[in-house]
Amino acid sequence: MRRALVLTLLLASCGKADAGPSPAKTPEGRPPSATGTPEVSTLGTLEVTATLVDITGQFPPNKLYDYVYVMKYKVLRTHRGKPEGDVIFVGHYNPLKPRSGAEDKFSGRIGGSVGSFRVGDVHRLALEAPLDQQMPMVGLIDKYIREKGVRYWAIWADRAAE
Amino acid sequence: MILLLACFLAQADLGKEVHDKGWIVYGAKGPAGDWDLFVMRPDGSEVKNLTNTPDYNEGLPRFSPDGRKILYRRLPRGERFDNNRHGLQGELVIANADGTEPRVIGAPGEYPWASWSPDGKRIASLSSKGIALVDLETKKVTATLERKGFFQQMTWSPDGKWLSGVANNFDTGWSVARMEVATGAVNAVSKIDCCTPDWFPDSRSIIFSRRPGEWTQLWMADAEGKQRSPVYSEDGRHCYGGCVSPDGKYVLFTGNKEEDGDASNAGAPMGLLRLRDAPIVKHPSKPASGPVLVLPTAWEPHWIQPKPEKGK
Repeated sequence: MRRALVLTLLLASCGKADAGPSPAKTPEGRPPSATGTPEVSTLGTLEVTATLVDITGQFPPNKLYDYVYVMKYKVLRTHRGKPEGDVIFVGHYNPLKPRSGAEDKFSGRIGGSVGSFRVGDVHRLALEAPLDQQMPMVGLIDKYIREKGVRYWAIWADRAAE
Repeated sequence: MILLLACFLAQADLGKEVHDKGWIVYGAKGPAGDWDLFVMRPDGSEVKNLTNTPDYNEGLPRFSPDGRKILYRRLPRGERFDNNRHGLQGELVIANADGTEPRVIGAPGEYPWASWSPDGKRIASLSSKGIALVDLETKKVTATLERKGFFQQMTWSPDGKWLSGVANNFDTGWSVARMEVATGAVNAVSKIDCCTPDWFPDSRSIIFSRRPGEWTQLWMADAEGKQRSPVYSEDGRHCYGGCVSPDGKYVLFTGNKEEDGDASNAGAPMGLLRLRDAPIVKHPSKPASGPVLVLPTAWEPHWIQPKPEKGK
């Protein structure tokens, strides 16, 4: 019985496609997600690991109003669902706030270990589309409006290893 | 000195001119510190508190098109109006225009951004699911529309053919847009950093706020979005909440020094000007370039000129 349990755990561990060497810690001091937290692995219908390749413009201060800001990602790995292409557009709610503190009574469930958004960082994202139907009733800042492609709503955003 | 006297006299003339032109309803802090609804004459006289409810905050009032009712939102006193989500907050209430017989319509949060139909029998409501036209007597949804990026401050045009609102889907957020009720077709009226749209009585033009630089200004545009022009700007103050008089000759507005309109939740003095004097520009060190009547501190005012009843 005990041997079977150990074997099951070993198999489960080996079965993770994205399991790798122990990753370095993030600037926030927490290890980036390598296997996916329960939230990132279950929320939304699309789960990817992606590099944040572009943030056009500057985030307005949050004292003005709540808003959703669209950022451009390059998909490295897909864990669940099927993204539309390897470059995707993702809307984050009030991106000046750490994801762990971004949820409010209007946003629905959002969160994650991402503390701030910097080009070049790798995130593991739980996403849902279309953005317009998922996001709260607030302003949308999409500097890529002339670029075609599905806009995704970021439900969960964890730091991740490349 | 002579200039100041001339300004004072011009304001006094404007006050006399508008005194009998109906009533203005607005939300403001009452003596108990909570938000109540008030009415006044357009010159700021004959102020009356309509609600007097120390346990509630009331705001966002709109007269019915016939002037006999008002609709507004009501929150528990402990909850503050959020300057961008006030239309989603609290309960929708419909009362007589003098504030009597308030009737709660729906549950808290229901019928967000409610706006009267021209006959006062329906409301249009904007939620994340879309736009619903609701019969007030039966509470049945008589029609639905996709919201097409509309997310706040929706108002139904006086002729019933259009909705205006703030939308996300015209190359940018915070565009003022128009939607045709019959088809759901939309067009931008003014793009980029615009808000608080409201209709002119002819349903052909829209008054709105626009922030082309540091301060938010009052603008107007034809509803097709072909031409827009400035109405009022004041360095040192953001102007919001434009409302055109029922005869289409004047505009009422409010504003605040804070960008979000009313960060300290205290309201700000209303202003009233003649549209034929527009554009009026005011710098902090100089008088305005035309007469502007300064009215009581308030938020989200609405103006009506009730039609005389038959036999009166």
